[in-house]
Amino acid sequence: MWWGGRGQSFNIAPQKEEPEMGSVQESRMPEPRSRQPSSCLASRCLPGEQILAWAPGVRKGLEPELSGTLICTNFRVTFQPCGWQQNEDTPLSSEYDFALVNIGRLEAVSGLSRVQLLRPGSLLKFIPEEIMIHGRDFRLLRVGFEAGGLEPQAFQVTMAIVQARAQSNPAQQYSGITLSKAGQASGSRKPPVPLMETAEDWETERKKQAARGWRVSTVNERFDVATSLPRYFWVPNRILDSEVRRAFGHFHQGRGPRLSWHHPGGSDLLRCGGFYTASDPNKEDIRAVESMLQAGHSDVVLVDTMDELPSLADVQLAHLRLRALCLPDSSVAEDKWLSALEGTRWLDYIRACLRKASDISVLVTSRVRSVILQERGDRDLNGLLSSLVQLLSAPEARTLFGFQSLVQREWVAAGHPFLTRLGGTGASEEAPVFLLFLDCVWQLLQQFPADFEFSEFFLLALHDSVRVPDTLTFLRNTPWERGKQSGQLNSYTQVYTPGYSQPPAGNSFNLQLSVWDWDLRYSNAQILQFQNPGYDPEHCPDSWLPRPQPSFMIPGPPSSVWLFSRGALTPLNQLCPWRDSPSLLAVSSRWLPRPAISSESLADQEWGLPSHWGACPLPPGLLLPGYLGPQIRFWRRCYLRGRPEVQTGLSAPTISGLQDELSHLQELLRKWTPRISPEVHSKKRDPHTILNPTEIVGILKGRAEGDLG
Amino acid sequence: MLGKGVVGGGGGTKAPKPSFVSYVRPEEIHTNEKEVTEKEVTLHLLPGEQLLCEASTVLKYVQEDSCQHGVYGRLVCTDFKIAFLGDDESALDNDETQFKNKVVGENDITLHCVDQIYGVFDEKKKTLFGQLKKYPEKLIIHCKDLRVFQFCLRYTKEEEVKRIVSGIIHHTQAPKLLKRLFLFSYATAAQNNTVTDPKNHTIMFDTLKDWCWELERTKGNMKYKAVSVNEGYKVCERLPAYFVVPTPLPEENVQRFQGHGIPIWCWSCHNGSALLKMSALPKEQDDGILQIQKSFLDGVYKTIHRPPYEIVKTEDLSSNFLSLQEIQTAYSKFKQLFLIDNSTEFWDTDIKWFSLLESSSWLDIIRRCLKKAIEITECMEAQNMNVLLLEENASDLCCLISSLVQLMMDPHCRTRIGFQSLIQKEWVMGGHCFLDRCNHLRQNDKEEVPVFLLFLDCVWQLVHQHPPAFEFTETYLTVLSDSLYIPIFSTFFFNSPHQKDTNMHQRQLSLPLTQSKSSPKRGFFREETDHLIKNLLGKRISKLINSSDELQDNFREFYDSWHSKPTDYHGLLLPHIEGPEIKVWAQRYLRWIPEAQILGGSRVATMSKLLEMIEEVQSLQEKIDERHHSQQAPQAEAPCLLRNSARLSSLFPFALLQRHSSKPVLPTSGWKALGDEDDLAKREDEFVDLGDV
Repeated sequence: MWWGGRGQSFNIAPQKEEPEMGSVQESRMPEPRSRQPSSCLASRCLPGEQILAWAPGVRKGLEPELSGTLICTNFRVTFQPCGWQQNEDTPLSSEYDFALVNIGRLEAVSGLSRVQLLRPGSLLKFIPEEIMIHGRDFRLLRVGFEAGGLEPQAFQVTMAIVQARAQSNPAQQYSGITLSKAGQASGSRKPPVPLMETAEDWETERKKQAARGWRVSTVNERFDVATSLPRYFWVPNRILDSEVRRAFGHFHQGRGPRLSWHHPGGSDLLRCGGFYTASDPNKEDIRAVESMLQAGHSDVVLVDTMDELPSLADVQLAHLRLRALCLPDSSVAEDKWLSALEGTRWLDYIRACLRKASDISVLVTSRVRSVILQERGDRDLNGLLSSLVQLLSAPEARTLFGFQSLVQREWVAAGHPFLTRLGGTGASEEAPVFLLFLDCVWQLLQQFPADFEFSEFFLLALHDSVRVPDTLTFLRNTPWERGKQSGQLNSYTQVYTPGYSQPPAGNSFNLQLSVWDWDLRYSNAQILQFQNPGYDPEHCPDSWLPRPQPSFMIPGPPSSVWLFSRGALTPLNQLCPWRDSPSLLAVSSRWLPRPAISSESLADQEWGLPSHWGACPLPPGLLLPGYLGPQIRFWRRCYLRGRPEVQTGLSAPTISGLQDELSHLQELLRKWTPRISPEVHSKKRDPHTILNPTEIVGILKGRAEGDLG
Repeated sequence: MLGKGVVGGGGGTKAPKPSFVSYVRPEEIHTNEKEVTEKEVTLHLLPGEQLLCEASTVLKYVQEDSCQHGVYGRLVCTDFKIAFLGDDESALDNDETQFKNKVVGENDITLHCVDQIYGVFDEKKKTLFGQLKKYPEKLIIHCKDLRVFQFCLRYTKEEEVKRIVSGIIHHTQAPKLLKRLFLFSYATAAQNNTVTDPKNHTIMFDTLKDWCWELERTKGNMKYKAVSVNEGYKVCERLPAYFVVPTPLPEENVQRFQGHGIPIWCWSCHNGSALLKMSALPKEQDDGILQIQKSFLDGVYKTIHRPPYEIVKTEDLSSNFLSLQEIQTAYSKFKQLFLIDNSTEFWDTDIKWFSLLESSSWLDIIRRCLKKAIEITECMEAQNMNVLLLEENASDLCCLISSLVQLMMDPHCRTRIGFQSLIQKEWVMGGHCFLDRCNHLRQNDKEEVPVFLLFLDCVWQLVHQHPPAFEFTETYLTVLSDSLYIPIFSTFFFNSPHQKDTNMHQRQLSLPLTQSKSSPKRGFFREETDHLIKNLLGKRISKLINSSDELQDNFREFYDSWHSKPTDYHGLLLPHIEGPEIKVWAQRYLRWIPEAQILGGSRVATMSKLLEMIEEVQSLQEKIDERHHSQQAPQAEAPCLLRNSARLSSLFPFALLQRHSSKPVLPTSGWKALGDEDDLAKREDEFVDLGDV
């Protein structure tokens, strides 16, 4: 295969975790420290961070070149431009920080031709003139070292990076940092986004969704049902906690059916793990399982999440290929780019996700029913699909706040194993499912630019945050580990995790920092850019008024049970595998190939959609994405950041410039005419000037000109 | 224009609901409903347009899926277009008529827009041409703007089928005389009433004054002069009546080889370097003549190459650049990706989309054109050299490359007027053989090469990458590409200004027309390339260019350094040409494919938001102005289109032309088991409920 030859030069092998942290580091530590350039360097450190080595250098690759200092600490490599730190108020830099785990490849360059690839543990063979740090997040940092007596420092800093990478163990290091930093935070604070760690959060969210047939269950409060589940979740009103506990035992890793989202039209979207087939439930248990899945609806659709979606290994392989393709020195010829891109299959997987999410959105919207996403582990693709479905169907989820809450609920709280999936543990189950999700969201943003409150910049920020070692959001696998580490679970940990030592005093529940505390890494000016100026508030929430729900009657057996697989609904005899024919339970892979009628999208089947196409073709708030070959795009601003030729011009100034001008004008006008009434906006509309886009561009151009000075 | 009863599919509820396992063919179902009476639907004829033949009870299929159904109507063929008169025209409401094309309706195909015609005989698809022995039951028309029409003739009377099919085939496929172009009937019948605003119109470059004005604008008048030596096409019919040559060039040189071997000025850069083009001298074997040619070229060459003041670099576009053959092959592969008879076919190719796209190499050709234009820009801008483009007739790739260079270097060309003037200067006056390249007369398929479309696609890449730098949008380009096939404008229907002048002129005098000799054959299919000229000029050039490596380095440096700086939209503009940056012009190529539609999405959504903001900015600005000057500022109304209309789809403005007739609810196997009427009714109720919220 085309990328095969590049395998050796691209360090992707999981790092061997060396248990002995000590010897090398300790012997090296004092030396560079004693030569620290100034105290201001140290002041930029995070608590618990130690500077291992530093050297003056010049950031290269972009105009203008910046001189500054390259610093290697025990958990990141950072470049600090001269005169940079004074006017910055964020402890971490979003641009020049590379967490050690984030370093995908490290190269030292000398002269024009000498390039050495530095793996963890390798020895530098020459004094480098330049080092290149390729991030796993597709960023690239090139730092050139000045000659003139400082070569030893250049050598030292490079070696320090090599060794620090070999020794880094994110899970251990970052806990300390987070704890002590949290201790510094002053007073009690409210997290910017509900972290879904308290029953109140769940109750508030439940009310917001008007899910009246549901309640917050506290059965997992001590993580004894499943450590990967959140402490609280939603279950049907009628089901007792004891029934929940029993029912969940019959699901893979105890992840039984929980409500993900309640559609204002009445449908419910549920997620659960695979049936635990070895168990032998009694009649009562089966009934509990069934009524939890049924959630009071007579129409039940079981969605086989894994079907037609890539496996974890597929996702990982595609991502590796994508990264290899996007390296700045990738040898793919320009005219072979497209097939190389196709060969990564990354876009194909995105297409599959969008297609499936779009189908499920239609299922949820078109009639009142219970739709259950079932994935064996319930921790990867279920989160992806359920998040996408909500983004497509619920305008609230498309706001900045709504999206962050969504990620917090469906990914973080739901126990997506971030640390493992993002390669933090070095285990073999690495698969950037979350990054796949972000790319899907980006596709939606491209297709519906006026429907999302957040911008591409926000997605990039989130993309880059997954490995930044400042908060626990993405650095733990389960809510249990996260809570344990942040000291939240003082009262419980002693009982359930005897080996765990009490965290330092002074950490109270509300001192937690999450990735949503953007001001840790981004300046206010950057955070402002998270807003999509093209967001059309007309499309924002409240267009869905909560509707009276069908009351939850005590249902008999559901009148129709379907399996949604291969783009089609197939009737099922029963919901659970245990009762009659146990063979039904292995739902994947045995089903018929997708019917030849695949051109008929589910939307058409459900609605005969085109007959409603017109001015208002879809129920308000529902987006149906395009997922044809030509419509799935390549996220250039993310994946090609490492290439110098595409680093500039990353965002067009036009729209934001226009926005600025608008507020400026309004400000002016407010100053001069305080009493002007809004009705003066008399807008004459001349139908003949309509549809003359050239004029628009002309005007735009004028504006852009003004902005560019 | 009253609508007649809906036939065929009907609303999703009324129609029978065939499942996809149905063994009854949809056609058979529809025959039951055939009884519905047809009312006359008015056929709109342009001035001078004549109805040639027609057929009634033709079923036009709705293209979008494998389920075949459609609407009944009349299929007519005039000397201008093929038109289907269905019932759904009346359904257009005001919003939509606003965006309707004034000349070509949604079911109209101008004769020149027809690309291929296929007939279906017993489920087999065959290309139709010449005399037919057997008439098809279904007619498939592929258009040059990539629409696909399918007409079922099964319910049409046999004589009508014969008449319409042979009529359509004859009028679209058979070679035709120039004088038979609809253009002439139209020009005679229609009074030309268009009044152009003298201040703000496209420069036609058909007078000496226009050329002088252009020279002055680009400050090229120091070194170049407009000449009228070809007035009345005395010297040659290939060149325009007026053009510009280097000042030192003696005018008699122009006559020497009928305008061949003469550097003709295209454009001057602010630093004084100029872009020139030259058509090659005729090939000769005789040494004596070769010697004469050589000394002639030497003399000519000295007028533009006077080191150290003037240095010229020659770009031979006919020997080591694209061949027209390549362009033709690539486009014919490329367009197949979008000419889709049914959507199942589309889904089948979808998985391999990128590799299919790549194997057509259309995008790579675009890249090579852009790259060449950047190279030339670098020579002119950075190295201050004159560039002489060389091609056999200087009327294909010369037009393309020189227009691209001007578009990148001269912001004036990025205004709409400037762009139209550029096309007029480089393409129309430059003698691009639109008639042959578009194959309007169907005389030689091999000559049909979409060079102009390639140019528009290259421009689209620039517009797409730098939208604020252009006054026009991609929609303008799409509409412009469509107008290539609408024979009421004379612009794109002649091979040279001479041909246009003589024909249009004679027509007015009502003289009998003889078929004008089509311009000399362009020899691009000849195996042998023109080494002679390359050798003659090439030796001298080799002194200037040290090595191609160095050229590449210069190019890289120029390209990289431009892209590493912030873009000045009013200055030099370079496209990105890396692999991921060259994209498919989705609006033009995908606009007729319903599956590609994103409801309520795409750039249109941003655009409407922008317009709102612009409007607000303007109204605020006016108020501020009013306060300052306390007088009424001139009314500059922002266009306020898109926002009344609820939410537009990504195919705007073309989607509105594309009426979706309804399609029956197609149950899957699952639904089939379920599918009793109660349930369907219930399902619809639910939908209505949701919609009402």
